[in-house]
Amino acid sequence: MLLKTDIHRAGYDGLDILQDIRFELPPGRIMAVIGPNGSGKTTLIRALSGVLPRVQGSMRVNGTDLLAASEKERARLLAVVPQSTHIPPAFSVEEVVLLGRTPHLNWLGNTSGEDLQNAEEAMRRADILDLRDRLCGELSAGERQRVILARALAQDTPVLLMDEPTSHLDLQYQVAFLTLARELALEGDKTVLAAMHDLNLAALFGDVVLALNGGKAVASGLTDEILTAEKVEEIYGLPVAVLDAPGGGQRVIIPQLPANPAG
Amino acid sequence: MRKSSTPRHLNSPVKTLARPLLLTTALALLLAVLSVGVGAVNIPPGQALAVLWDALRGVPPASGGGDILRVILVDLRLPRTLLMALTGAALAASGAAYQGLFRNPLADPYLIGAASGAGLGAVAAISLDWPSSALGYLAVPLASFATAIITVLIVYRMARVGNTLPVTNLILAGVALSSFATALTSFLMINASGELRRALVWLLGGSTLSGWKPVIGQLPYTLIGCAVLLAMSYRLNVLQFGDEQAQQLGLNARRSRTVVVAAATLATASAVAFSGIIGFAGLIVPHILRRIWGGDMRRLMPLSIAGGAALLLAADILSRVILAPQELPVGIITALAGAPFFLAILRRTKKGRW
Amino acid sequence: MNKRIISIITISTALLLGACTPAAAPAADVTLTDGLGREVALTTPAETIISLSPPVTEMLFAVGAGDQVVGRDTFSDYPAEATNLPDVGGGFSDYDLETILSLQPELVIAGEINTPELVQSLEDLDLTVYYLANPGDLEGTFDAIRTIGMLSGHEEQAQALTADLEARVQAVEEALAPIETRPTVYYELDATDPAKPYTPGPGTFYTSMIDQAGGTNIGAELDSEWAQVSLEFLLVQDPDYILLGDAMWGVTPESLAARPGWDALTAVHEGRVLPFDDNLIVRFGPRQVEGLEALAEILHPEAFE
Repeated sequence: MLLKTDIHRAGYDGLDILQDIRFELPPGRIMAVIGPNGSGKTTLIRALSGVLPRVQGSMRVNGTDLLAASEKERARLLAVVPQSTHIPPAFSVEEVVLLGRTPHLNWLGNTSGEDLQNAEEAMRRADILDLRDRLCGELSAGERQRVILARALAQDTPVLLMDEPTSHLDLQYQVAFLTLARELALEGDKTVLAAMHDLNLAALFGDVVLALNGGKAVASGLTDEILTAEKVEEIYGLPVAVLDAPGGGQRVIIPQLPANPAG
Repeated sequence: MRKSSTPRHLNSPVKTLARPLLLTTALALLLAVLSVGVGAVNIPPGQALAVLWDALRGVPPASGGGDILRVILVDLRLPRTLLMALTGAALAASGAAYQGLFRNPLADPYLIGAASGAGLGAVAAISLDWPSSALGYLAVPLASFATAIITVLIVYRMARVGNTLPVTNLILAGVALSSFATALTSFLMINASGELRRALVWLLGGSTLSGWKPVIGQLPYTLIGCAVLLAMSYRLNVLQFGDEQAQQLGLNARRSRTVVVAAATLATASAVAFSGIIGFAGLIVPHILRRIWGGDMRRLMPLSIAGGAALLLAADILSRVILAPQELPVGIITALAGAPFFLAILRRTKKGRW
Repeated sequence: MNKRIISIITISTALLLGACTPAAAPAADVTLTDGLGREVALTTPAETIISLSPPVTEMLFAVGAGDQVVGRDTFSDYPAEATNLPDVGGGFSDYDLETILSLQPELVIAGEINTPELVQSLEDLDLTVYYLANPGDLEGTFDAIRTIGMLSGHEEQAQALTADLEARVQAVEEALAPIETRPTVYYELDATDPAKPYTPGPGTFYTSMIDQAGGTNIGAELDSEWAQVSLEFLLVQDPDYILLGDAMWGVTPESLAARPGWDALTAVHEGRVLPFDDNLIVRFGPRQVEGLEALAEILHPEAFE
């Protein structure tokens, strides 16, 4: 579904963090949100998911006004994979994933066959089926991150927001994760927004890029247009070289270090 | 720790609840029967049953001491048993709720001021010598109930930040207000020379009123509090992940928190008002049950209710038996059990098995 | 008339009266107002009595009702016979309601040491409870003795006893009449923290008895009945006598003198620190007159040669 955002200002009482963030993200597309630390990436995700105290502007998913929606309605439209991988240790993996069904359940939390199927499928896609009965306290950070992803998948929402989803993952899992995101976007018709640290991954998987700095959008557009040497240097304040990987098709961004003074 | 081998039927917590609940409830019932059978006056079980059966049918008691037996069983032991069961259930349910709400296995029902507030109210009522007034002997329990609720309300207002109810704020405000209430209580006690003993008796725990009065007083609040907490079980599960994630999963975190605090306070305040301040029960029961049967509140809450009743019944039986004919306040027994419990926790945490 | 003759006459009368054992007082249904303001309907005399307060136990035995006492609280240890009676609990732990019930008392006499809630609980169990409020002075004690006598059917013995006690009090007062000095007294109740000991204040038996014994309690000017004072206060007051009401807990004149700073007190280095049996004042009853006599003899030995 179409995610249409027009934030004038957003932040906490007395402190505005975001200003003038405007974009439209159609279904089937992945938006990579990049920017230095403190630029507002997490705050943006907070604003979209309704946990930021003050938001002035509008946010709509296919016309539904997120600001006016109840928590439950919003949770049926947006799922969040947060940055923190902390999970209360006494829960089992399957229990955590099932919690993703909360916006679809009644107050007792009764699950139906459909809910179980959703959870099962989510675990399969996140490749944690063999961990389903393990206690989360026993898992590694990477495994926990996949569990949280599975929970968001089980929530079965048209929009998926991810905050640094690969920070703890091994290389193969990073790729698997983002490949999954691409599948969800294309086949599942989901709208995916991911805040990312790693510019190379952003280049690999993002269709469009939104660059933030100091709470403002400093650039937005197709990946190829934004992830150029000049633009990246502008955003991060660091000279970079942008190369094409051998074999073609992939863009690689590496920081350019000053020449070795001793050498 | 739980074994993690065979898949469990997580889709229906009811299935995995049935057996443990049956077990704990059976334990509680057994202890209840024991509680009615034990006391300073030795009544053989057969005779006790006969007396109770007669009382139930409305048959006049047998002559030659039969009426005394009936009074002992029906007016002393039966209500006492019920009171301990209610108190245990209320404290354990509140403890489970707070351990979930504050995401801390060391939280107990007195964390945000219910006990110290209740103590202040009781001592104030005793100092003002209210029982001579129209409210009669219910003045002390009513006063302590009211001040317990008022204290938690103040803590709640102090802790609220705009639209949220941060957990750390709740704890800080609770600690601050508890200290204040305790200091005020001590001050009142120093200045109330004659009533000092009465205040101390109340604070040490154990019911000062016997018979059916305290049971009738406590019953509605404990029932309502426990019922609401049962209903909030699933939401407590979700709240384990913090306000932000709970909100992102579709829960109104602040409203849920408020309801849980209100229900737990109602149950705790009524327990403290009529049974005095009994420590550790609200802490130990949910903690132990969680280790055996897991942290899913839909299981833990009903199990805590039954388990809490069982624990307090056991403690009460011990309190009557250990130093017969003297009775120890129940709070002392639970405290004595609490110390080894904490040591055990400490050892496990040190070993890193948490 | 000189006091010895009065004593002889009084004692002889008492003995005579005691010797003529009166016919058992007829049972009477009365309604009394007890110390809690409750209307208590009971039958006098009560043949089986449980006492929940040590002074009550003492007074029951003193008026000759010892045989009627079927149970007593833990702390009732005087007279010695009382310790043979069934213990129904007390102190900070709960009273054992079951034992009280099974002893089937006609009357339960409670004192201020018992909480009103306990009285209510006993009443709820259909027991008859009479709550005896603490007297504030010796007159009140004598009234209490007479009440106990009436409740237990020993009015005449109670009358005789109080008459004798009153005579002894009068004897003390007469002996003290010509004396003009009033030594000051520091009565120590508790010195667990020797820098902040407890002393009785105004409105207590201690103050009135010290007063009657020809002395002045330095605590009489304080604000609370059970006051915690500092050593500085004592140094300023510099009492003539120091009485150790906490002697039963092991405090001795030597241990007091050893406390830092206390040897600056006049009473300490003039040897006027004396142990005192606190039960002779705090447990109201006949022994309080002994207490008065003991106090008077300490403060004015010259009057009692």
